[in-house]
Amino acid sequence: MQQGKMHPMHTYQSIRPFKQRKSFASRMEEVIGIREKFPTKVPVIVERYQRERYLPLLDKTKFLVPQELTMTQFITIIRGRMGLGSTQAFYLLVNNKTLASMSLTLAEIYQDYKDEDGFVYMTYASQEMFGYQLATDKGKSNECLQKT
Amino acid sequence: MDAATLTYDTLRFEYEDFPETKEPVWILGRKYSVLTEKEEILLDVTSRLWFTYRKNFPAIGGTGPTSDTGWGCMLRCGQMIFAQALVCRHLGRDWRWMKGKKQTDNYYNVLNAFIDKKDSYYSIHQIAQMGVGEGKSIGQWYGPNTVAQVLKKLATFDTWSSLAVHIAMDNTVVMEEIRRLCWFNYPCPGASAFPTAESDLLSNGYPDGAECTDRLLLWKPLVLLIPLRLGLTDINEAYIETLKHCFMMPQSLGVIGGKPNSAHYFIGYLGEELIYLDPHTTQPAVEPTDSCHIADESFHCQHPPCRMSIAELDPSIAVGFFCNTEEDFNAWCQQIKKLSLIRGALPMFELVEHQPSHFSSPDVLNLTPDSSDADRLERFFDSEDEDFEILSL
Repeated sequence: MQQGKMHPMHTYQSIRPFKQRKSFASRMEEVIGIREKFPTKVPVIVERYQRERYLPLLDKTKFLVPQELTMTQFITIIRGRMGLGSTQAFYLLVNNKTLASMSLTLAEIYQDYKDEDGFVYMTYASQEMFGYQLATDKGKSNECLQKT
Repeated sequence: MDAATLTYDTLRFEYEDFPETKEPVWILGRKYSVLTEKEEILLDVTSRLWFTYRKNFPAIGGTGPTSDTGWGCMLRCGQMIFAQALVCRHLGRDWRWMKGKKQTDNYYNVLNAFIDKKDSYYSIHQIAQMGVGEGKSIGQWYGPNTVAQVLKKLATFDTWSSLAVHIAMDNTVVMEEIRRLCWFNYPCPGASAFPTAESDLLSNGYPDGAECTDRLLLWKPLVLLIPLRLGLTDINEAYIETLKHCFMMPQSLGVIGGKPNSAHYFIGYLGEELIYLDPHTTQPAVEPTDSCHIADESFHCQHPPCRMSIAELDPSIAVGFFCNTEEDFNAWCQQIKKLSLIRGALPMFELVEHQPSHFSSPDVLNLTPDSSDADRLERFFDSEDEDFEILSL
């Protein structure tokens, strides 16, 4: 609802992605350990898109999600955490590119999309805004503006 | 002709004619041959209402901007997709515009709904001011979802068109929600009593029961807008075939989206190129003398439409459809279901009969971490810097 007002100062996040913070071996080890402890929960990494300007950062990156939870339920939880209104655009892309079907369970998502390290990676983003930017894209847009 | 190299320079490219090819051109659900129907294609494109940047219109809010150059492109695209819905509603998909020819009153009424003045239903003034409620101050940029949400609100004042506007969020279209919205006077609000089999309605013309006899008359024409994000920086190519199919459906209203920073109204495709109307031309505002005599030539794009490679599309879009009757909506659902069976075409959104459980009631889920889980986790990871957040049912 309040896209523009929510976090105007929060532009580009500086935190490195989880995959870059930890080695493959330590990530894999972590998954093996946690899966042993919680065999019915799915380890999910949820990160904000690096160029996202409107959605807030979550305070957690690593989630253990009941495997029978659907994507709808999972997204409802995350939308709730961010305090997003139902009309605000929010997309959770699996592996940085796919909008997973909302009726799939996390167990199904895990099966289809899990990384080699054993985590499932999801990135959230709203939508881009469109307009003419003075600082960049100068030549082309100027031309567009002068056209009559 | 090597289209890929040309698309980098849209300005030189945009007045290019269509290439001679056997591949069909699709414009808003209509299939054309470039070889034999070039004039029909151009007439169809020219007949669409084309909204561009304008200057010297009455100041928005009395003291605000008098031009939308630089910031209004997505608002103009929203106007274009919504104008197409109004054209379908009041004039029909087959209606064509002829330069200099006196049109019907309905045509001028549609056009008048978008003229740059404060009291037109969907003017830039109305859109910019309604956007304040969406957290957008006047002059701020919009995304496809922003303009869709604003148009939905504005449509409630347009009693002349009496449209049901539905915006499907979370890439999910719930049929039950749409039927409830379109049957605006539905007598039994209980969800369990809601008819799920559309065949019941179609088989004998109308459902049983005296209270339902006029139900078929109460279907409001549906404008369905589906805001999507088909990737992060680039569109996931697995969605391209599905996107093309949207332009092949008779219910298509096209797509609003664009290239990074530049919004376009996409009305069709040819091969691997999207065909669009571009709002990035500043024209002087048109002052209406009276509602039946608007100088309308500048609201129709009279040169061949622009084209760009589908791969260049910014992933943030909104797809639009218009279903005048329930039959149109049912036919649309059938096509979407078939589309999900095509190999190599990843569905962009999901079509479901009922609202998925817990969709709108987050309190049903236990949002607090399970304390016993947390204890176990602490013991396991007491040397870790980053904890897991454990969700429990």
